[in-house]
Amino acid sequence: MFKLIKTEFIKIFKKKSFLVVSLIFILYCLFTNLIYLSINSGTLNDPALDIQELEIENNKLNLSNPDDLNQYVSNLTTIALTKYTEKYSHNTQKYLIEHYLKPVISNYYETKYITKETKNLANIEEEITKIENLIAKENWEYFTNENISHYQKELQKELSLPVKSRYETLLKIAEYRLQNNIPYDETHYLHNALNDIATDITEYYNLKYQENLTKEEQARYTYITKELQINKYIIEHKADIHNNSNLRAILKNFAQEFDLFILIYVIMLSGSIVSEEFNKGTIKFLLTKPYKRSTILTSKLLTVLLAIPLIVLFMLIIELIIGGLIFGFSSLSVPVVIYNAGHIITYNIFTYTGLSLLSNIPIYLILGTIAFAISTIMASTSAAITISFLVYLIGNVIANLAQVYKFKIFKYLVFLHWDFSYLVTKGTNPFGFKPLTSIIVVGIYLLFFLCLTYIYFQKKDVKNV
Amino acid sequence: MTILKVSNLCKKIGKKEILKDVSFEINEGEILAFIGPNGAGKTTTIKCILGLQKMTSGNITINGFDISKDFVKAISKVGCIVESPDVYMYLTGLENIRLQASLYDNVTEEEIEHVIKLVGLDARINTQVSKYSLGMRQRLGIAISLLNNPNLLILDEPTNGLDPEGIKSLRELLLKLSRQKIGILISSHNLSELESFCNKVCIISEGKIIKESSIETIKQVNDSKYIIKVDDTKKVEKLLTEKDTIKDSQYFEVIKEEQEIAQFITKLVKNDIKIYEVRKENLTLEEAFINLAGGQNV
Repeated sequence: MFKLIKTEFIKIFKKKSFLVVSLIFILYCLFTNLIYLSINSGTLNDPALDIQELEIENNKLNLSNPDDLNQYVSNLTTIALTKYTEKYSHNTQKYLIEHYLKPVISNYYETKYITKETKNLANIEEEITKIENLIAKENWEYFTNENISHYQKELQKELSLPVKSRYETLLKIAEYRLQNNIPYDETHYLHNALNDIATDITEYYNLKYQENLTKEEQARYTYITKELQINKYIIEHKADIHNNSNLRAILKNFAQEFDLFILIYVIMLSGSIVSEEFNKGTIKFLLTKPYKRSTILTSKLLTVLLAIPLIVLFMLIIELIIGGLIFGFSSLSVPVVIYNAGHIITYNIFTYTGLSLLSNIPIYLILGTIAFAISTIMASTSAAITISFLVYLIGNVIANLAQVYKFKIFKYLVFLHWDFSYLVTKGTNPFGFKPLTSIIVVGIYLLFFLCLTYIYFQKKDVKNV
Repeated sequence: MTILKVSNLCKKIGKKEILKDVSFEINEGEILAFIGPNGAGKTTTIKCILGLQKMTSGNITINGFDISKDFVKAISKVGCIVESPDVYMYLTGLENIRLQASLYDNVTEEEIEHVIKLVGLDARINTQVSKYSLGMRQRLGIAISLLNNPNLLILDEPTNGLDPEGIKSLRELLLKLSRQKIGILISSHNLSELESFCNKVCIISEGKIIKESSIETIKQVNDSKYIIKVDDTKKVEKLLTEKDTIKDSQYFEVIKEEQEIAQFITKLVKNDIKIYEVRKENLTLEEAFINLAGGQNV
């Protein structure tokens, strides 16, 4: 048996089609990495506003009409802000302009053209200059300190519970920002996490202290809770888990990104390992060796079962090499964080990738076994490969159908059982099956196709050419 | 000692009878030429012997082991080429030999080198098989079939694609092997090609064995072939037996002993047939064989 498996491996790995697919995989892997690299290239690219167009529009406006006047002021504000953004182009500066300079500028033009309280203008101009200086120096701490004193002042008042909780949280966020020196940079994951919390917190406390939530509100509350928990985890563990442009992100999505390639390898190997020998006539030398036919078939089956994990390992190593060269390896220390029913689950990135791949094994087993059976029964590589892929496609369609139509017959179909990825995220099967039921169904299908293959192979005549 | 014994082998595919009661034997040191036209059932018989096709009924034993019960033991001392030497085209000759050798127990590196030299492939053994000619692949196939030191060698049309030099060395190789008490089965659609190889001949036609005999018996046949030119062959038709054939309006062939031909010519003269020419030719082995088998058209 061992000798047979050894020769099968030689046959597979020396075959041109195998080498070609592997080469294509390396290219595919490289391109995938480049796509991940381009997801965010570090700076924010706002669509550039055409100042000239706004100026032309302003010239056409009739300033005695209140609507036009409002539009005029708004355009002036936009023009001014765009000019500032061009002058101060760091991410933090842009944020400060948008959040702290914009209200003042808006106020300035409103005062100048709408309310026309000209005596205030000097004060406002002074304020603008002050903020501009702060922005020029990227002195974001000033604004944070301002916020802190504002929150502290508010907290001394008599407040309702939601509002009080909200200010407490905002205060904590601001203090944390200062302590950990996190600027208002929208490419900085900690800033984003803090910002997201600050945005969600109002709604969260409102819903939390509200009684009799509607269904939609309940769903919204669950969703916000989840977001808050995850952002809290990011801040507490300084874990950049939302970054999609590093090696960790590709590894996290490895089972999905390279799913098709694994499938191609599985179907290509199991769909050709028997039929190729029949088509090329080499089966005659093989079957006249002193082995039982069942031993020969078993060794072919075992070869595929051993080759696929090796190939996936090869794919992982290629990805680690290419991804490592492009992104570096530092992101691999960041865990994968999954929120499920009030709990945060964390996985080491390699554990997570491994588990995701393992959870796909039933799909590969079923499709591989089908390809293997067709390859043996019809002695046609192309039929084996085509039909297996069709089964995969139809399986996906049926799984989607089954979410809408609850036909009884569906529950006997393997397509509703073969995806075990919910086990990794500690979820449940989307169709409500227990894992054990699914394992039994998958097992029965495997057994059926394998029996069919063995019976046919035992009886098969090597036809005359 | 009997190495291969085929008895009452029958094979049906659907309702069609491919093989009808095929029986023959190969003993130590025998080289059996298995002759028949295309579609006569040669390859099917060979595939049944090797277990590549299942027989409908009958019995095949190799070295005393029944192939349907003790396949592994029966096949372990058999070397074969079936139809054509189909090897892995994307591997080199040596890789192919190593691959096949690794499926047997204890084939040493020396033995591998030995068979390569034996078939004369040493110069091109590291070339990819896809670049081989058919003749070279035949040699490679023969090398593979010798790897396990077989005592039964089954070669299906091994002379296909071989040049005269190759046929000569194959003959020498097989004669040498038969002296080492190996039984050999060679099939071909052409007996004349195998005349010098074999010491036993078996003719199969339409799934039936027509005749099995030793080569000496055939060589003892005294009949000769006479080509006769007459004025009009239509006139001789009624005088011919089924062994004889009319070639065209003037020429015809008869197969007779010397005594008979004199009487036959007298008969022609009496029938007022003009004889322009009588030419004697020796029978080829195949013609002698057919003659022996009763003139059936093979």
